[in-house]
Amino acid sequence: MSGVAAQERRHRATVTPARSPAASGRRPRLSRKHREWLAAGLFLAPDVLGLLVFVAIPMVLSIGLSFFQVSGFGSYEWIGLGNYRRMLNDPLFWDSMKITGLYVVFLVPLLFCVSLGLGLLVKQKLPGVGVYRTMLFMPYVISLVVVGVLWKFLLDEQTGVVNRAMRAAGFDGESWLGSPSLALGCVIAVMVWVMMGYYMIIFLAGLQEIPQEFYEAAKLDGAGPWTTFRTITWPLLRPTSFFVLLMSTVAAITGGLDLIFVLTNGGPANGTSLAIFYIYQQAFGFGEYGYASAMGSFLVLIMVLISAVLFKLTRGGRFDDGE
Amino acid sequence: MLQHGNDAGRPATSPGTSRRRFLTAAAGAGSAVAAPALLTGCGTARAKGGNLQFWNFYGPQRSPDPAVNAQAKWFVDMVDRWNATHKARIDLVHLPQPTYVNGFKLPSAFATGEGPDIFLLSPGDFLRYCNGGVLADLTPHMEKAAIDDFGSALDSRMVDGKVYALPMEIEPLAMFYAQDVWEKAGLSEADIPTTWDQMLDIGDKLRTRTRAGLVFETNPGYYQNFTWYPWMWQGGGEVLDERGDVAFDSKATRQALGLWQDAVRHGIAPRTMPAAADVVGGFKGGNVAMWQQGIWNVSSFKAFAPKYRYGVFKLPTPPGGRYVTALGGWSFCANAQGRDPEAAAEFCVWALGSMKDESIDRMVEWCVGTKSDVAPRDTALDRGSAKGGYDSEIMKKFKDEIFPGGRAEPRYPPVVYKAISDAIQGTMLAGHGVAGAAERAARSIAAYTKSYQGASLI
Repeated sequence: MSGVAAQERRHRATVTPARSPAASGRRPRLSRKHREWLAAGLFLAPDVLGLLVFVAIPMVLSIGLSFFQVSGFGSYEWIGLGNYRRMLNDPLFWDSMKITGLYVVFLVPLLFCVSLGLGLLVKQKLPGVGVYRTMLFMPYVISLVVVGVLWKFLLDEQTGVVNRAMRAAGFDGESWLGSPSLALGCVIAVMVWVMMGYYMIIFLAGLQEIPQEFYEAAKLDGAGPWTTFRTITWPLLRPTSFFVLLMSTVAAITGGLDLIFVLTNGGPANGTSLAIFYIYQQAFGFGEYGYASAMGSFLVLIMVLISAVLFKLTRGGRFDDGE
Repeated sequence: MLQHGNDAGRPATSPGTSRRRFLTAAAGAGSAVAAPALLTGCGTARAKGGNLQFWNFYGPQRSPDPAVNAQAKWFVDMVDRWNATHKARIDLVHLPQPTYVNGFKLPSAFATGEGPDIFLLSPGDFLRYCNGGVLADLTPHMEKAAIDDFGSALDSRMVDGKVYALPMEIEPLAMFYAQDVWEKAGLSEADIPTTWDQMLDIGDKLRTRTRAGLVFETNPGYYQNFTWYPWMWQGGGEVLDERGDVAFDSKATRQALGLWQDAVRHGIAPRTMPAAADVVGGFKGGNVAMWQQGIWNVSSFKAFAPKYRYGVFKLPTPPGGRYVTALGGWSFCANAQGRDPEAAAEFCVWALGSMKDESIDRMVEWCVGTKSDVAPRDTALDRGSAKGGYDSEIMKKFKDEIFPGGRAEPRYPPVVYKAISDAIQGTMLAGHGVAGAAERAARSIAAYTKSYQGASLI
């Protein structure tokens, strides 16, 4: 079979003029456009396959599971929308959604401002700036479990460094992780400490993309730092800002589980029980996989809506006029 | 190949060495290598065959704490002895205690059909495993004399007259206190509190900026509930009454919730665990004056701080109340859906529940040699006493004063546990009203028990 095909190819090569100077004796079976599509597909395939196996299929299975009562020991019973009805009437779930809302509302802007501020700082041509950048990025590479343990010791009510410093300064120590009004703030602060280096680098890359000539022109026109930031940096940084905003919002809604698990275990009094923690607890702690799937599906829906709103507000992620 | 002439300047590439073919071949080879690994990773425990797995939080491991090493050795020796004399072989799988006790690895393993063949189970968590059908019936492997020997220690591990778990220990709760702190404050043994108010007053007197006067468990979980139950029971409170009806919303419950709330509100008890919940470290470091803890810490003090001066006393009672403490302790269980449930059940009984001397002596060694516990079998308790295991002042007090007023840790499914836990956490740490918290929890438990199907909750 292959011999016949080879003969045929050779025959065609001798009687058919080449279509391009680069053409060899082998006539391409696919057009250039098709070959590019094929190459793109092959390059994308590993990622698509990974998304399919680890995201899309589990997501579909999870939505399916949300219609079942699951015992955690292998028994499944179809209950239709029962888990969703339970979710609507579960005060703990709605408390966890409120806490998640607070967490996102405070974490995302704080993280955005701190990261942008650090990005602007480390963009300066300072001696040893590389060291500062590395040090600020370092918390991001530490496991969240290690971060949790570390901050648990630092924030310890009796012997923690933070309270010792406060007492040395003449203040009373606080129960940082034992008070519901403070614990969520501590989790947000620790999360900012962890994530700020990563988003700082993203902002730094965005800042370095802005042509230096714009700043030089502004300087010649007598613009001060604030005017320069407002009229040049901020508008030209919009694509980066959008990316940071979107990513940090998604990360805030879906992430932080390991940190919460180690630092507060959802306490005190469910004060740090984010929706993702509550879902995890229901699924893997109590074996309520069906119910957890229903809540997870709802959370995904919320995330899709938030992403859609963000895209809408930013005109589909396009920032340059005329596009 | 050279007929068009255009190829003359290009290196001739054979089809087998082109970049595309190379990448294709590499991807194919990678898939071929990865596929079996991925597929076997999705298999079930039973499909794997092999040795039985015994999940526990003791061994094998190496620790700076000699008591922990001794406990690990007890497990290793036991399994080695079994493996030397039985066809079905067992492998010990050690999980760190926090992962095992408060983590979700065990339930997740069962949910995926990968549950261990033999495992340790807390009475508080007994029901969901029992209702899930994963606990093997151990009764056919036991002699009646052995069941009688365990007596009431089996009550919370039985369903319809069948034994589903064998306790390895009984662990009563008491109040530990630092004698040096006590004496420096001008207190003597005569000042040991017998009422809640006295306990709070002394805690208030002993506390400093860096020392907690009194410590109650603060982390939410089955363990916190376990340590709270005796305070409720002392006033006559119950989660469910004798008929199985919800009785949580009672004066005794509100009183117990109020005790912990007052202790925290007045700064006598901390809101988080001192010394990262390390009992010996907390006392030695001078961070704690009194701590509600269990008998198991006696062996830790003996091994890790033998010269440290501490004492224990019975949990104080409320006005008009009667003394009760909670009795914990873990059990051996066999997985009814494991590789070899018969062999796993046989192992549990061989290890702890046989009338043979080897089995009884093993429990004696665990309870008074390796660890410090009350033995759950009468014969083992007698032998342990004869061996001098309860001669020390502390162990004697546990055996003769603290343990007799004990009551087994109740077995409640997660929904009931969570309702109680939320009431404790809300009142203790968020300052919620005790009446409202008790009422909410009772309502939540009632809604659940109305449709509950499974083994008896009481």
